[in-house]
Amino acid sequence: MVQTSDTSDAVLRQVRLFVFRQAADTARVPQPREIAAALGRPQSEVEEALRQLAAGKVLILAPNDGNIWAANPFCAVPSPFRVETRGKTYWGICIWDALGIVATLGADAVIRAACGDCSEPLLLKIKAGKLTRSEGIIHFAVPAHHWWDNIGYT
Amino acid sequence: MLLFRGEEHIDRWCQSRDIKRGATLTPEQGWQLADGWYKEKLKPEWRRHTLEETEALLASVGLIGSFWNLRD
Repeated sequence: MVQTSDTSDAVLRQVRLFVFRQAADTARVPQPREIAAALGRPQSEVEEALRQLAAGKVLILAPNDGNIWAANPFCAVPSPFRVETRGKTYWGICIWDALGIVATLGADAVIRAACGDCSEPLLLKIKAGKLTRSEGIIHFAVPAHHWWDNIGYT
Repeated sequence: MLLFRGEEHIDRWCQSRDIKRGATLTPEQGWQLADGWYKEKLKPEWRRHTLEETEALLASVGLIGSFWNLRD
């Protein structure tokens, strides 16, 4: 078992940067085996690093395994919040993160979302850092103080 | 944080789930919030916002009041 002390700040930083840069560059969130292979580190060490990053609210792990659900704002699986930019398709876990993908990449983008009630498509466009087209209203169901009580629900 | 076509859609969604209506943002507010929250995320020196920084960001977007309170 990897000791917490082995997961140094340097390793956490290395894993963090790899995960987020891969997600940004490829539109796909890397998982532990791939991260370990790319960094030349034991998978158990990478998994421990991911657990610590999740505990620090840097990313979110799937509930029942060590895989990354979201390296926020990048979601590892398709969602109703689709971001098209740089010739790629990204996914956010919510509309905040879909907008966050655009902010993170600093690129022009189209967000194709769906109404949470009726599923009708809604379109937002960002160009040169400005929201140039928007539809709909954003709703936060959970007060800010409780966002991380259950981030999946939030 | 979901996107809805209009106010009546938010009401219907809340009623169907028997949950209290929360707070709403315009897409422009959402964009400003996301930009302030995420624009540094790929930088090596990135770190989570402090409580005070988060409060300042929320306030800068016009998100003030008890719903946006981050403290106990």
